Amino acid sequence: MTLKSIGLMAGIALAAMSMAVPAMAQTVIKVWSIDGANAPGIADTLSKEFNEKNTDIQIDYRIVPFDDLVNEALRAFATGQAPDIISLDNPDFALFSSRGAFLDITERAAASDVIDTSVYYEGPLNSVSWDGKLFGLPKYTDTIALFYNKDLFAKAGIAEAPKTWSELVDTAAKLTDPASNTYGITFSARAGEEGTFQYLPWIQMAGGNYDNVNVPGAVEAIDDWKAMIDAKSASQDVLSLGQWDSTGTFNSGNAAMAISGPWELNRMSTDAKFDWGVALLPTQTEGGARSSALGGFNWGIFASTKHPDEAFKVLEYYISQDERMFPEFSSIPARSDIALPETGVPLKDAALKVFQEQLQYAQPRGPHPEWQKISKAIYDAMQQVLTGQVPAQQALDQAQATIKGITG
Amino acid sequence: MSRFFNSMRDGVGFDLILVGAAMLFLLALAGLPLVYNVLMSFQQVDMFTLGSLIRPFAGFTNYVAVVAQPEFWLVTKNTLIFVFASMAGQFVIGFALAIFFAQNFPGASTIRGLFLVSWVMPGLVVGALWSSILAGDFGVLNFLLRSVGLIEGTIFWKSDPNFALWAVVIANIWLGLAFNMLLLSVGLAAIPRDLYEAAELDGANAFQRFWTITLPMMRSTIGAVMSLGLIGTLQQFDLFPALTEGGPANTSTVAGYWAWQMSFQLYDFAKGATISVMMFVLVLFASVVYVRSTRHEVRG
Repeated sequence: MTLKSIGLMAGIALAAMSMAVPAMAQTVIKVWSIDGANAPGIADTLSKEFNEKNTDIQIDYRIVPFDDLVNEALRAFATGQAPDIISLDNPDFALFSSRGAFLDITERAAASDVIDTSVYYEGPLNSVSWDGKLFGLPKYTDTIALFYNKDLFAKAGIAEAPKTWSELVDTAAKLTDPASNTYGITFSARAGEEGTFQYLPWIQMAGGNYDNVNVPGAVEAIDDWKAMIDAKSASQDVLSLGQWDSTGTFNSGNAAMAISGPWELNRMSTDAKFDWGVALLPTQTEGGARSSALGGFNWGIFASTKHPDEAFKVLEYYISQDERMFPEFSSIPARSDIALPETGVPLKDAALKVFQEQLQYAQPRGPHPEWQKISKAIYDAMQQVLTGQVPAQQALDQAQATIKGITG
Repeated sequence: MSRFFNSMRDGVGFDLILVGAAMLFLLALAGLPLVYNVLMSFQQVDMFTLGSLIRPFAGFTNYVAVVAQPEFWLVTKNTLIFVFASMAGQFVIGFALAIFFAQNFPGASTIRGLFLVSWVMPGLVVGALWSSILAGDFGVLNFLLRSVGLIEGTIFWKSDPNFALWAVVIANIWLGLAFNMLLLSVGLAAIPRDLYEAAELDGANAFQRFWTITLPMMRSTIGAVMSLGLIGTLQQFDLFPALTEGGPANTSTVAGYWAWQMSFQLYDFAKGATISVMMFVLVLFASVVYVRSTRHEVRG
């Protein structure tokens, strides 16, 4: 065979290959999220359905583990290989939106038939906004409230869940029973985001916020926590337990109250062999200002996308399926216009009502591009106080100085 | 020409190729990342310049900023305590075990082999294991200590600032024990028996034999074990996220964990690089000791 005929054959093969590609131009939208790693989740299920319904746009979906998500996204963005759409934990969102790494969708959202920004809860919407512009949309949301063991309450002769901080301290003390290995309360004051997640609402209830942490009420709150640990109403291990493990001790009856979120409901419905309920987080004084933590993920479109219109269409599709969020994926949509259907489990349905009410008071962490450093200043101070190393006022003053250096 | 190819096949050229391949490998996989890391510690890094090599020069600002962090001296102190306590524990217990298993008793070598189990296990698994041993309210260690009557209350190993670092030290000693014991056993086996016999005839007691024969003969082995121990301990990472996450309030944060936290949790890559450059100086010191202690070894 001569060189010439090989060249000819290669030419024919190439031509045949190019004909095999469908005539219609297809746009591929890359989507990253943590969903679908263990069980079918929101983003993976919806992407698959979208691909079946559409031919002109196809989603290339990738599961990224939670711990790697931000690092992978940073690296990909820096090397120009960012996906078109990403779903991020809400405190990580500002890292990208504040630097213009996300597409400004303010006008697109206003013109959209599917998206109505006025139906979203204030907290989640704040977490996707920066400088008055909209850089994404909330995917789902959650928050924390107070779980309490009604059986133990009845046994101790306490009629209802504590409404103020001081009531909480007293109630926890009354419910503590070392003989039966029962602590009055459990929560998470861990050295990490969960610690800030649980403590920041108390600072906010006292009129402070992430950039103003040394208000008198914040000192009072953390002193209350310390009092509960010192009185052994709470285990000292709240300093190293995450929320999931911490609430596990509530489910097994080793703590009479627990501060945690709606992600506990399924496990609690099966594990907890007692009557339980959920109450709003206690306030500083009777009828005082409310707050709670804001959890949940957001959607964002990277500014580097080559197909902003198609990416926005994909986003619209995700949002249009919000009504399935709770029945199919047990996540709470971040909007007030979707009523959650009854689950048939009375305890769970009652709890969800409380969480939905609590959500109206949920405030985002930040948003700030260097949120993780601010968060560390807050949980470091919290742990210094709880371990008795530094007095509350001094620790929070120091945290405030650190945060001031970050926020400028 | 044929001489050139001959030397390639069997001669100086062949040696050069072998050395060259190893050098190339080292340069590409250890040298370049190292230089890149040092370079990064003198630059401003953010998400837009993360992928590029040339970034705004920052001089020593990263170093100044790291030292100015409120936790800097605490982390330095923790690192020193962690390294020296871990090394001391691993070495002393490892040496004792090595000498114990060097005695001739039935099953000695089998049991010594079993000790390797701890060394084979991944750090995260060891971390999870010790996490439940060291748990506060329902921990195994607390239960044992209470049963024996050593303590009355509960020691919150992972949540008490007085114990958190020591909790990781205990787990780390357990983890590195087998490696130390193995290397020291090899050193012990290499000491000629007749030295001991001669000493015994001269009337030296067990302590004198240990002090004047075992220790001097083990000099290079001990040097190697110590410097490998230092490097291994500075590298230790898995146990921290599994046990304490550096808490409470940074009382169990050491340099290695701190560098990781800066880069991959706080996304401050420049400071993370800066901390690891600071650690590198320490490891360099250990390597010099290691090289010097093995220099006199005669290889056959």
